[in-house]
Amino acid sequence: MNYIEKLRTSEDMVTPGMSACQGCCGELVLRRILQISGKNTIVCVPPGCMSGAGVVGWDYQTGMKIPVHIPLLTNTASFLSGVSQMYQRKGRGDVNMIAVAGDGATADGGFQSLSGAAERNEKMLYVCYDNEGYMNTGFQRSSTTTKGSRTSTTPIGEAINGKQQPSKYVALIMSMHALQYCATASPSHMQDMVAKVERGLAESKKGFAFIHVIAPCPTGWSFEPDMSIQIAKKAVASNMFPLWEKYNGNYYITVENKKPIPVKEFLQSMGKYKSLTDDDIAQIQKEADTKYETLKKLASE
Amino acid sequence: MSKRVHISPLANEGMYILDTASWRTERPVMNKEKCIECGLCLTYCPVNAIIFDENKYKITYNYCKGCGICAVECPKKAIDMVPEGGGK
Repeated sequence: MNYIEKLRTSEDMVTPGMSACQGCCGELVLRRILQISGKNTIVCVPPGCMSGAGVVGWDYQTGMKIPVHIPLLTNTASFLSGVSQMYQRKGRGDVNMIAVAGDGATADGGFQSLSGAAERNEKMLYVCYDNEGYMNTGFQRSSTTTKGSRTSTTPIGEAINGKQQPSKYVALIMSMHALQYCATASPSHMQDMVAKVERGLAESKKGFAFIHVIAPCPTGWSFEPDMSIQIAKKAVASNMFPLWEKYNGNYYITVENKKPIPVKEFLQSMGKYKSLTDDDIAQIQKEADTKYETLKKLASE
Repeated sequence: MSKRVHISPLANEGMYILDTASWRTERPVMNKEKCIECGLCLTYCPVNAIIFDENKYKITYNYCKGCGICAVECPKKAIDMVPEGGGK
């Protein structure tokens, strides 16, 4: 069964009408992950775009057809550790434990609980949909926001020109824990993403699995809603977001980029980078190249 | 507004559903003659508004937000975005 057949026959677990913006990749990622995991799932959605859009429910109503929890921004992984431990004790190790968290709840506030859960090798799948900022509250900077990006807390002006620091590479940091499975995925490469989620779910029965998914945000990044998938494609093609996975201690690059497009093409396709100078672009290009070279070295070992 | 449908046994009142179809300014219309049934529109639709029914891909308009991803991603350009003419 190929991935399209799988997606068209599986049931949608999320409420049909949720208030995510037009063209939201976070919504797409959430729906696809839960379509693959199916009914036998418990999901944790910390505060962020997705819980704000109503998937955890509102006013005594639920937003999903499966049990859904809203922990705090900081304790998603530790909360789910407890739920997972209880299910193991009850003899229900077959239940999929999934956290779908934004980058703020993964890389900033929730990082200590995430790192702790990964170190304890708790049995769960933690998915981070990375829209590079706190989009739910109006695009404040987060630690995964890329350098030069305009946010509401790092505006373009005389004093600074967008975010000054490069982004934190959470997926690589997480992969350095002795976890069961770690991967990056993009909704534009759906076949790859579906395969990674399936593998992640299988590995989550044995230990901690982490998947980092890029989720371009039309509202925050300033591009037309219909271009979301194109932007994700460009992020992969320009090596700004390389796709790789780690299991059994080995790294594998899953989508090889033989001829990467210049990052300029990716940066100029949206509004949040519009103030970048040529020097900035050259520097971002260098960082992207270094990132890919590092991954290639890790994968070749 | 939000229709109360009791799908899940977990919550008191039923399912939280928003009428997202009212956001739409343009609606996707599929040209069946150009469609090659590849399924990419279904794969990329964020709201799952595209369904596979009777061996054909169909667009449903109950929750479609009109983002236009399907029209851009269609390899045969079989989906056109048509302006909404008021109401549903």
